Parts: sequence; structure tokens; C-alpha cells
Amino acid sequence: MTTIGDLVGARIATVLPDVIEPADAAALRARFATSPTSRYALVDRGAYDAVPVHDLAPFADLVPFARDATERDLVIAEARVLRLRPGDYLLAHHDRVYEGFPIELVVDLSVAPIAGAEIHYRRRGQVFFRVPNAPGSVAIVERGPTVTCNHTYVSKRHPPDVEVVRLILLLQATSATKSSTV
Amino acid sequence: MWRIPDERDERDDAWRTARPFPHVVIDDFVDPAALDELMTILDDEPVERYEADLYAFDATAPEPTTAAFRAMRAAFLAALAGPLARITGKVCTRVDLRAYAYRVGDYLLPHADHQDGLDRQLAYAYYLPSPEPPTGGELELYACRADAAGALVEIASAAIIAPRANRLVVFDVSTISLHQVCEVTAGLRLSLSGWFYP
Repeated sequence: MTTIGDLVGARIATVLPDVIEPADAAALRARFATSPTSRYALVDRGAYDAVPVHDLAPFADLVPFARDATERDLVIAEARVLRLRPGDYLLAHHDRVYEGFPIELVVDLSVAPIAGAEIHYRRRGQVFFRVPNAPGSVAIVERGPTVTCNHTYVSKRHPPDVEVVRLILLLQATSATKSSTV
Repeated sequence: MWRIPDERDERDDAWRTARPFPHVVIDDFVDPAALDELMTILDDEPVERYEADLYAFDATAPEPTTAAFRAMRAAFLAALAGPLARITGKVCTRVDLRAYAYRVGDYLLPHADHQDGLDRQLAYAYYLPSPEPPTGGELELYACRADAAGALVEIASAAIIAPRANRLVVFDVSTISLHQVCEVTAGLRLSLSGWFYP
């Protein structure tokens, strides 16, 4: 049965494993490690490092993955990197809500998987899709007015030097292919 | 069962001067001879798992399932209402009481407890004896500054209270009473917790 929620909520949510080679991930981590980083510390909303990414061109090779998953012509509109270490998190009410239906593409650049460090996509607060911490993977999720996500708390039982590194790209449909809602 | 002074003592001043926001810590809150009775009451109370982006823990239902637990809640309110009115200046006529179990990896991230319409005026946690006392699980209080719209714009850790067995912590509830339960990294943190209402 198809519900109205299915129609107006996120319709695309998938994880593609092993998209990024470890050497490419290492190169990107090295690039972002030297980029200006800000620590977000308003802990009622989140605790994490954020790196704004202004040069979007190097990530154009990732767009076809999203295009294949969505059957839309897409362009990268913005990008940022989040780094989470033990004790870090990003709560759902701190997440951005989108009026339209852009595609979020999350590239996992972590060195190694960290148990429990997931992204939970929520529709009206209820988790509908969990993205595991899987280095090299790319998650493709359609956002929307009722969709938020949280980056789960990273346990302090992990060694203090481990980190989750996520490159988050926001893709918008080109004007000719913007999807209608209902 | 509950040991809280009926007459004014240093804790009255401690409430007013506590930083970052009003709170009071009362150790040896339950008569040791009554602790077994208390734990026996809790033995039969079922717990469920609660997980969200903000928390992960086990807890009993909002409403106690046994008559003994409900009676303990009533006795707790009866014993605390008078002293809390004197210490905090707030008159309480109702209380929530649930048992919480934080296992290894459990936590409750920073939040303020205040919600419009809920009338929570005081929060409390009473730490129960644990078969394996926890590492972590501290109550961390934050100093906050809010902007004109009420959004917190500066937050800094300001106090850490260890979850010592038989310790009661009562703290003010407001839009800036930000606090968290730090992750339990070993052992088991058991508590009774809830809010007092007008």
C-alpha cells in the first residue's frame, strides 16, 4: 500500500558500499585536515567539527551515483565536512529542514568503522533509514520538509583519537528536471 | 525512610548560592536500614529500553505498575514537599518517579527539562546502590547565556556531580538549566528520577 507519507516523504534512501578507494579517502581527509575548521559546541544541539567546502568541482564524479539512484539531473549546490570524535553528536532538532526535495549525499571518509556511529534519517521524528559508519560508502537520501537527521553519539569507550569523517554534499535538481511533489 | 532535615540548615543557603543554577546535593538521603526495603519495591517493576538521538537508557513506565511503588512515590512527595518549599521557595504538590538504569554506553545528552505547558519546576535524581557502581554517569551542569529570543548562545560546563549511592540531587528547572548524564563507561548506574510540579 502506498501512503500519502510515502509520496511526500523521502522516497530515496540507499547506501552504496565501497565507492571511495581508501587511498582517495585518505587524500580527502588530508586535504580537509588542513582546511579551516570550526568547533560547534552549543551542546544542546551538537558537538562536532565542521569544515566548509567551497570548491565543489572535485566531487563532480560523485554526481552520477546520485543521478542513477534518483533518475534526476543533479548538480552539487553545497558541501561541508563533519568530523565527530568520541563524545560528539548532532541532534535532529539542530538539523536543517529543506522546503524542497534536494538529495543529500554522504561520503564516509572515516579510516575505520566505529561501532554505533550512524546517521539516522527521520520522517516527522521517526527513524526511517539508518546509515552505518562504513568507510568508503556513499549514502544517497532524498531530503524534504518532513525529513531531518541526527548523527548519533559517538561513545567515549572508543579510543580518543578515532574520528568519523563525513563529506556531505547537497544536490539540487537542475531546473529542467526538478521533481514535482503531489 | 527519607532523611531530610525539617529545619533550616546549610543546604538552604547552598540552593541559593549554587552555580551554575540553583541545586542542592543531599548525601545519605535514605536510612541505610530502609535501603533493602526500597530496593525490594523496585525489584518487581518492569523496565523498557528508551533510545533516541538524545538518550539511551532503560526506565520504568511513567506510571508505576505496583501499589508499593505508587505508595513510595506518595511517601517521597510527602517527605520532600515541606523541606523543598523551604529550601527552594517552590511549593510542590505532585511528583513523577521512575527508576532508571544506565548500562555501559548509555547517556542522556545536554537538555534543559523545561517544556512549555509541562510545569516542571524542580528536577531530581536519587542514586541507588548498584551491584557494580558506575564509571561515568555523572550529572554535568552547564552555565548558559541566552539571547533575547531565548536561544542558548554560550554554554560552558560548570559543575559535575558524581552518582554516589544514596545521594539525592535536586535542581531548578528553567530554560537555562542545561544538564546531561555523562556516558556510563563501566558498571551500572541506577537511579530514581523525575520532576516536582506545583
